Amino acid sequence: MSIDVNVFLFSLMIYTIIMNIGISLYAIFQRPNIIKKIIALTILGDSANVLAIIVGYRAWPSPNRAPIPPVLTNLHPTGEDIQMFTQVAVDPLPQALVLTAVVIGLAVTVFLVFLALQLYRLYGTLDVRKITKLRG
Amino acid sequence: MKGWMRAVSLLSIIAVTVALALGTASGGLGYVLPFPGVRDLAYWFLFTALNPSTPLFTVMSPEAVTSIVWDYRGLDTLFETTVFFLAIIGSMALMRGIEVVKKVEERTYQIGMSPIVKTVTRISVAAILAVAASIALHGHLTPGGGFQGGAAAAVAPLLLIVVFSVYFAVGSHINKKNMLTIRTIGLLGVGLTAFAVLIIGVIHGVGAYVFQNQPKATAPIGLPADLFGSLTSGTLILFNFFEFLAVAAGFTIVFLLLSVPERRVMEILEGGEKDEH
Repeated sequence: MSIDVNVFLFSLMIYTIIMNIGISLYAIFQRPNIIKKIIALTILGDSANVLAIIVGYRAWPSPNRAPIPPVLTNLHPTGEDIQMFTQVAVDPLPQALVLTAVVIGLAVTVFLVFLALQLYRLYGTLDVRKITKLRG
Repeated sequence: MKGWMRAVSLLSIIAVTVALALGTASGGLGYVLPFPGVRDLAYWFLFTALNPSTPLFTVMSPEAVTSIVWDYRGLDTLFETTVFFLAIIGSMALMRGIEVVKKVEERTYQIGMSPIVKTVTRISVAAILAVAASIALHGHLTPGGGFQGGAAAAVAPLLLIVVFSVYFAVGSHINKKNMLTIRTIGLLGVGLTAFAVLIIGVIHGVGAYVFQNQPKATAPIGLPADLFGSLTSGTLILFNFFEFLAVAAGFTIVFLLLSVPERRVMEILEGGEKDEH
């Protein structure tokens, strides 16, 4: 049983991101401060995005060159160039979906920050244990 | 005791991660990561992104990600823009009635940071806007696009607010009303670009679709892929430009709302907005 160092490091990266998601979920559930919950939520979203991008990665060598970004550098490509491009470029679909997810995550974060700000202005606290006891 | 527990839990998390990685790397799941190829769908996207030999399927953009974002899955991106729009509208509704009033005093131009910082900011704001426009308008050629360019451009008003004070920004027409106008122009542009080919098709009496870019088999009409010899990829450059306007103005609204002085906000919240009407 032999372990390739590159494969081991790639697997380690994936499991590190999954652990990161777990830790941020812990912070969302366990921390009483709303600002810390929002920070943990952004960490959760970014970790999930990185994981989604890694899904589209392809192994090196494939077949004999390192993977390249999904951008064709030749504006007047021949059929051969395009064949070569499809052989070495990484998957563009997860990147496009992550671009969408980043924007939506950002919009949600902006709205949550404004909610927290207004909550603090009106009630003077960001501790969920005190907020749940508020009446009226 | 507390620190000891924390160290043990941290070490156990690291140990579990390394053990899982070792298990996967040694073939414990039946395969090793990463996979050597990409999925068939990705082959198709990469093959048709810029391929003049398949004129009925290509987007005529060398950037496969932008091709997906604004052509293959354009409807997704339209609704994503809608979510962003609604989030900022929601933030503005929460902060209704709270706005910085323009100060007419001479002192407005003396507050802020030192003259060195102000001079550097004046130069760098121009550079930031140029870089942002470059990111947005080259979105169909290189990594980047309307959203990334807009987010970069919004740094310029943020710098103005921090360095020169929010009163200077409001005094130089960076206020909520103007930003809303730019944002609405951007969103209208995105909507019109989505319908552009359909409108052209109706005028010429041929079939066309919403979110169409290049000619298709049943809709032989589309926007030109290049203009005066430089590649513009039909609708992609228009989408990127209008999205750039909308996102930059939207972020500027957020920064303006977040930089209202806290004393003024409390006055409005407690005073029942008497001085507003």
